[in-house]
Amino acid sequence: MVVTSAPQALLSINDVSKAFPGVRALDQVSLEVFGGVVHGIVGENGAGKSTLMKILSGVYEKDSGEIVFEGHVIDKITPFESMKLGLAIIYQELNLVNTMTVGENIFLGRFSELGGRAGVHSKARTLLQSIGSKVDTYKLVSELSVSDKQMVEIAKALSFDSKLIIMDEPSSSLTADEIQELIQIIHDLKSKGIAIIYITHKLDEIFGFCDVVTVMRDGHVIATRDVHDITRNEMISMMVGRTIENEYPPRPEAVGETILEIKGMNTKKLRDIKLTLRKGEILGLVGLVGSGRTELVRALFGADKVARKSVFLDGKPITVKSPIDAINFSMAMVPEDRKLQGLLLGFSVEQNISLAVLARLTKRGFIDAKEEGAVSDRQIKALNIKTPSGRTKIRTLSGGNQQKAILGRWLEMNPRVLILDEPTKGIDVGAKYEIYLLMKKIVEGGGSIILISSELPEVLHMSNRVNTINDGRINGEFDPSIASADEIMAKAFEFA
Amino acid sequence: MSSATEPIVGRVSSQRAINLLRNNPIFVAIALLVIITSLVEPKFLTAANFDNILRQFGTLIFAALGMTFVIMAGFLDLSIGGIISLVAVVTVTLIDKVGQGPAILIGISVGLLCGLINSALIITSGALSQAESLFITFGMSLVYGAVALMYVQGVTQFLTYSTTDISIFNAINSGGIGFLSVSAVLFLACLAVLYVIERRTYLGRAVVLTGGNKVAARLAGIPITRTIVFIYAVSGVMSAIGAVVLVSRVTLADPTMGTPYTTQAILAVVVGGTALAGGRGSVLWTVVGTLLLILLNNCLNLLGVSSYIQFVLRGVILILAIWLDRVKQDSVSK
Repeated sequence: MVVTSAPQALLSINDVSKAFPGVRALDQVSLEVFGGVVHGIVGENGAGKSTLMKILSGVYEKDSGEIVFEGHVIDKITPFESMKLGLAIIYQELNLVNTMTVGENIFLGRFSELGGRAGVHSKARTLLQSIGSKVDTYKLVSELSVSDKQMVEIAKALSFDSKLIIMDEPSSSLTADEIQELIQIIHDLKSKGIAIIYITHKLDEIFGFCDVVTVMRDGHVIATRDVHDITRNEMISMMVGRTIENEYPPRPEAVGETILEIKGMNTKKLRDIKLTLRKGEILGLVGLVGSGRTELVRALFGADKVARKSVFLDGKPITVKSPIDAINFSMAMVPEDRKLQGLLLGFSVEQNISLAVLARLTKRGFIDAKEEGAVSDRQIKALNIKTPSGRTKIRTLSGGNQQKAILGRWLEMNPRVLILDEPTKGIDVGAKYEIYLLMKKIVEGGGSIILISSELPEVLHMSNRVNTINDGRINGEFDPSIASADEIMAKAFEFA
Repeated sequence: MSSATEPIVGRVSSQRAINLLRNNPIFVAIALLVIITSLVEPKFLTAANFDNILRQFGTLIFAALGMTFVIMAGFLDLSIGGIISLVAVVTVTLIDKVGQGPAILIGISVGLLCGLINSALIITSGALSQAESLFITFGMSLVYGAVALMYVQGVTQFLTYSTTDISIFNAINSGGIGFLSVSAVLFLACLAVLYVIERRTYLGRAVVLTGGNKVAARLAGIPITRTIVFIYAVSGVMSAIGAVVLVSRVTLADPTMGTPYTTQAILAVVVGGTALAGGRGSVLWTVVGTLLLILLNNCLNLLGVSSYIQFVLRGVILILAIWLDRVKQDSVSK
């Protein structure tokens, strides 16, 4: 038992509460973190994880309660002061200055202490080497990959002699190899006695390398357990507050005749794509980021201009030059990047939902406001979108509810072909399950789905058929009920 | 949080009033302006001065109303100064040739044509960012201005030199319908039409959606191209109406007379509270913004403040408006 053997907690949080207008973000949260321990924190979006971390790093001020770090009571603190105390936080959206060099970023605001440029870079190199990174300290941060940027953040944290490093979903934008490197670094940090708070949505990571896990829900700490004393299903039940039998609903089975066929599609990225989609089918598309999987569906949907493509719907050739054409052929697409391509953040839930059927709601140029409200209410109810009302600004909703609103936007038009590009990215377990159920309902109603996801288990469990895409070519077809994950991954990674 | 639990009703309602003013500081600014100026300069509250204010309101408000749609959609139109100049000279020179009614119609068609050219350039070049639209319309502003100069060889055209009837222009300048002036009626009509488009129609929704997130709106089937054509057409036509009102008031057409209206119209829209980034705004707000600018102008003139200082103040107000907008945005996103 790791917890009991360490007598003095490095960080203890006692009964901390924080309220925002209308929400109790944290309600008497207590937590202890020990040196040399990797402490995982899981919880659905809106559980209070980020709020708690932002209080620790000084971005927010707590309303009540006590925080003790290394015997010091922390009350009001600025982010820079908290770093100096040895408490570092690495945010999901990394906090580096793109136009400055690696070395300058690590010692931002502290150049003079180090005797100028040469000192900065040599110290920076030592720090980076200590975590096994070979990044050139003279390189601009804008030229680095996401994983290298993360290395720089970690080096920056170490430069403050941090005793506690908080990582907020660090692996969400890393490749499999990069995640392995990150895990190695976490092990190194741990052996130096540094405590790590690891916030994640991926339960595999909790069981992979965390020692202790705290589950949060609705601003409360539900439980803190040694990872050996908790099962995956227990953890999920604690997160969502009810028992979920499975992470995935049973695979829909009935599949009909071919409705959509790509007989050839070529772009700068794509080479002679051939693809068929059957009625009532979920077709999984597996490939690495940059393999051409997103380009394929964007080209199909008319989002990008494509020189040559030959697409058949019900055996008849169709021309799709823009999303409007695609929609007219009853196609729909939930794009990869929810914030940039899907949502209109400044608009209401209602206006976000009515978007795709706005033309239908328009009579002689005027939008039928009553009908628009009805459409929105119907989808909010059908998809169980948690929002005070249709008039609420969509930016105030959690990621899962935002995604459901985007789905509702398309479901209202009852699409025959629904393209889902990373539909569950950054969404908590409960909302994920609801989205899986929705997918099932859509295909059972005679629709067809093309599913792209970086989470292989999701594709394997949901799809009737899987195509792998690699370097712009479709290079394999699998029946996921027979094929193993390894087989499919091997094909998707073939030349990479 | 704690104020909600307090039982004192009076405090809650006064709190609401304070919030209203805090969220709309422009009303406070207008009130302060009126109070201070009327105390210092009694001439401010005279009928003659109000007439003066309403006349100045004229051209700017039309251009600013059109600009509101452009900015709400996340674009900019720097060509309206050129359009106003061009429409003014075309209209005045045509009066003797085709008569005043047709001359006005042709003038407004020229404004429409300029707007269509702007949108065609933006669409065909794929210049869908605000900065790109800014440069394209700035370029076209030079073109329209130069065409105006070439058309009249740089010579100012006087309305009063016309040998035929100019009664429509006279009516726009000094005529009245009931207790309202003709230009005020024209303004109210334009405002009503644009407001209904903005709030009720598909096209109006497409404008704000485009400004809110072009990429997402396009992927959801909103016709971005059609929206761009629409906003620049509106901007061209509204500028042209502004040009006709301007010609009526000053009784001449000069090939550079439109120039100051470009920045003033943008200023009026942004000061009114329409987000410069697009996606949020209203023609009603622009009316308030324009009112503030005209009042400020009028007050400073009455108080004898030098025009150099006035330029400085205008700049400060623009920056202040954008800063306030930022503050509002940040508080929303938190």
